[in-house]
Amino acid sequence: MMNTPASKSLPHIAGIGLRAPHYLEVLEQRPALGWVEVHSENFFGGGAPLHTLLQVAQHYPVSLHGVGMGLASPDPLDAGHLRELRRLCDTVDPASVSEHLCWNTAGGIAINDLLPFPYTRDALSHVSERVRQVQDVLGRRILIENLSYYVAFRESEMREEEFLSELVARTGCGILFDVNNLFVNAVNLGVDAQAFIHGIPAEAVGEYHLAGPSLMDGCLVDTHSARVFDEAWALYEDALQHIGKRPTLIEWDVEIPALSVIQDEARKAQLRMDAL
Amino acid sequence: MNTLANTLGQFSAVIRTCAEFEQDALVCPNYPAQRGVGVYRNNYRGNLHDTLAGAYPVIRQLVGEEFFRLLAKRFIEQHPSRSGNLHRYGGEMAEFLAHFENTRHLAYLPDMARLEWAYHRAYFADDAARFDLTRLASVPPESYAGLRWQLHPSCTLLATAFPVAAIWRAHQESAGADFNIDLDSGGDNLLVYRNGLSVNIIDIPAASLHWLEQLRQDIGMGAATESTLAAYPEFDLGTALQHWLANGVLVDFETLNATPAQAGVQLFNDTGFRPAPE
Repeated sequence: MMNTPASKSLPHIAGIGLRAPHYLEVLEQRPALGWVEVHSENFFGGGAPLHTLLQVAQHYPVSLHGVGMGLASPDPLDAGHLRELRRLCDTVDPASVSEHLCWNTAGGIAINDLLPFPYTRDALSHVSERVRQVQDVLGRRILIENLSYYVAFRESEMREEEFLSELVARTGCGILFDVNNLFVNAVNLGVDAQAFIHGIPAEAVGEYHLAGPSLMDGCLVDTHSARVFDEAWALYEDALQHIGKRPTLIEWDVEIPALSVIQDEARKAQLRMDAL
Repeated sequence: MNTLANTLGQFSAVIRTCAEFEQDALVCPNYPAQRGVGVYRNNYRGNLHDTLAGAYPVIRQLVGEEFFRLLAKRFIEQHPSRSGNLHRYGGEMAEFLAHFENTRHLAYLPDMARLEWAYHRAYFADDAARFDLTRLASVPPESYAGLRWQLHPSCTLLATAFPVAAIWRAHQESAGADFNIDLDSGGDNLLVYRNGLSVNIIDIPAASLHWLEQLRQDIGMGAATESTLAAYPEFDLGTALQHWLANGVLVDFETLNATPAQAGVQLFNDTGFRPAPE
């Protein structure tokens, strides 16, 4: 069990995903943002990216969100990748660190995406072991994000929320509940959204994510390229009711609009939190 | 675990190639499973294409967006990603271009790929603290030969056959676009590295390139200097050492127990150079 508290924690208010087109504006004008989240791998190494992040971290709580660890990959964890993340954590002292419930590397070949896997008991032992490894190396608890996926596996022996709950019980990790991912899975694959919301341990949820998907060929793709859909807002309200207020992030990664548009979405999340 | 490895190995092949999952392995109630697989296939090619376009912007300008898409597609087929960190993807481009039948006539492209990769890696390389000159002042001159210098982690040394630095500069947004470059005007000796936050591409003397390359071989400064002087009698160690220290290229050293051969090297002439602490 991993009980070491992080030295900082995210405030229970709305934040935004900070991306390169807005670095300068954020550093120069210091808009009112509750907190920011960045993709960890973009700051591996040094130079301008790290320098920018360290400046940002002087003014806003920072969450490091990894997209490349591949917790469910059949290949061994990439020790170099983990070392880089540890070093970044030591340098930035983030308020939160998170990864996805997914895999990316098999047989030495990486697919740089967030890929689903069958939710089996074997996979649960495998992922639990690796979450423990990551938490041990980082010396802190991490949050694991539920995935958006476009195919499901017949081999699965449990639902994602059961897998996540068991993972929390075995490793002491937290959950990053991506509400849009759940919405996308509900539309695409008929996942029971209410069962998910009621199935995960509320006390383990450390953060929410919200974003807007796009419809491609009858499939809702989690592109983070639009405003949050009404249906996702409704699920967010359900989550607030059942799970409670948590730090809530607006993500926007493709066709990134003016910062004010993202702030506007963050305000909508904040209003819903305040209405509780 | 075996089952998981098998399933995911198969999934990987399905995403990267035209392989298919066995019937009924996937469950998609609302659309054909093939459509879900298509999302992953598109993401796979799109992400790697965009990564290559980001690492090789000048090559993309040189060959045009449309052709670059074809080139990237072939590259991706031959060179899958090996790391969860996309910034590491694409290092084999120079070699690929040298053999790619559609670009073989553009003989300068591999050199350009080397330059752009060096730039890309320098941008994401680790930081290193500036060298503290007082440390050198505490080394007795007779031990200089045994110093093993470490170059800044962002450094790449490039000797090219074509004048790619000029072509590269002409393709930067800020450039006055001087495309009047004679491809036969000879190659460049380049050092690509990050000084502070910005990546620099600088032309350096052949002797300096040789010397820095020798230092990279993890040999003492004495042996490196001897080898450089043999090829470039005009090389001046004092000037070079001071210059590369001042410019943040040499960032650290280890002291070796000098072997008699190294200790015997006359490193400095009568001026008795020692870099002054600034």
